[in-house]
Amino acid sequence: MDAEILGLIVGSLVSLGAYSVLIGDNPISKITENIYMGILGGYIFATNWDFINKNAISKVANGEPVYIISILLSLMLLGRLKAKYLWISRYPVVLTVGVGLGLAMRTTVMADFLGQIQATLLPWNSFNNIVMVIGTCVTAAYFIFTTQESGAYKYINRAGRAFLLCAFGVAYGQTVSFRFELVIGRLVSMLDPRVSMYTYAFIVIMAAILIYGYKTNKIEWYTGR
Amino acid sequence: MSIIDKLLNIDQRIIFFLMFIALAFPILNPVILPMAVQDYSRKAFEFSDSIPEGSIVLFEGGLGAATYPQGGPGMVAQIYHMLTKGVKIVFFSIGTEQNVWTMKAIETALDKLPAGTPAENGVNWVHWGYIAGGESGVGSLVNDIRATVSADYFGTPIDDIPLLESVNDASAFSAVLWWGGSEGSMPYGIRQISVPFNIPITGMCTTNEVPNFSPYISAGQLQGLFGGVRGSAEYEYLLHLPGPALGQAMATNFGGLLWMVLVILGNVMYFIQRTRGEA
Repeated sequence: MDAEILGLIVGSLVSLGAYSVLIGDNPISKITENIYMGILGGYIFATNWDFINKNAISKVANGEPVYIISILLSLMLLGRLKAKYLWISRYPVVLTVGVGLGLAMRTTVMADFLGQIQATLLPWNSFNNIVMVIGTCVTAAYFIFTTQESGAYKYINRAGRAFLLCAFGVAYGQTVSFRFELVIGRLVSMLDPRVSMYTYAFIVIMAAILIYGYKTNKIEWYTGR
Repeated sequence: MSIIDKLLNIDQRIIFFLMFIALAFPILNPVILPMAVQDYSRKAFEFSDSIPEGSIVLFEGGLGAATYPQGGPGMVAQIYHMLTKGVKIVFFSIGTEQNVWTMKAIETALDKLPAGTPAENGVNWVHWGYIAGGESGVGSLVNDIRATVSADYFGTPIDDIPLLESVNDASAFSAVLWWGGSEGSMPYGIRQISVPFNIPITGMCTTNEVPNFSPYISAGQLQGLFGGVRGSAEYEYLLHLPGPALGQAMATNFGGLLWMVLVILGNVMYFIQRTRGEA
């Protein structure tokens, strides 16, 4: 059998197993969950090991001793496995956080602060620009917590809240759409004409197992909404 | 219990089932509704189209198993677009799983290329594979490539790759194409490459992340953005390269329509209950 078809069939089976959790927690969904976690953990380990091997161990073997430091720091992280040696793991963690923060902060002021302020200083020559400027100002003003909500500030505060609610609405809508796209991605693979018969067969088999489980009370029926 | 009470307390599994039907129906019976191209997608496409022939671009492939169906068709279109224009591409991924999916997109694009298009591995494109370390890894990579990567995805030492002869840091790239998917990693590209090296950047993210990155477009730090499956469909449309994204975008519309009806219905019934003093 073609490797791609086999992948689609296995993917279909695992996806259906995972989606069965929508009916309620059941043994099929649990098995799928554990298989997924196991494979993912193993894959992440293997890929990272390959990276370390190619970019640190082989470099040390080729006469670049400076990479011993990175290997040592990686090994020190394993100190977390035993409470007695936990303190050893703190050094590489501190170094990682420090380097990460330093690298990010280097250009954060330009990218996330000054650039954004500049982008808000727009000419008032279109409806969009006016909404953008007013929306940014009143939303920022909403977070002034040291002022009493009275007088003119009361209306600014309410306008800020309205803009925030609009922004949350957009974020919610986009999130719902993203979740649909995730499901659609799976459905496209599962309903691929080359494997759809297997998908339908898996649905029937899983339904039979779950119905048997629920009827005989071997699986607890989820009674929440 | 009134009908309104019953509907407001409906078993969520019925809603899941209705949603399954709404999403599966357009996949089994493709329906194409009219679609306008979004401004962000058009900007991203026009920027990509303006990259001169012979340039080298840096390409982050951040799509995984979950996000490849929505971003993959667009990523394939982008690779196809660049290679047919004679632009050379250097790929990398900051996720373990993502580097395999990036390779899949490269293979799919190579299969679609018109005969005679130069697309030789190591000459027209190279895939560095997985780069560990997240943002720090990106920072290290673009400042000193040879200190961070020793071999490409296939194990070829980077000193033996013709395309990388004069590539030592990010200054060799004309543009960055960041297909971050749901990684949320696009700011890494802006902070570590675009701002310090003054290299324009564009790319793709999943639909839910579009509001997070749109301020970067307004600020001119991001040249454009393809959002989710719709972004992919729009790239296919603008490139005149029909692919699977268009049908998927229509399925999203059907799902969204059902969701909207349910939200409106739920709110109307809630207000009816409240006016009756039951809520």
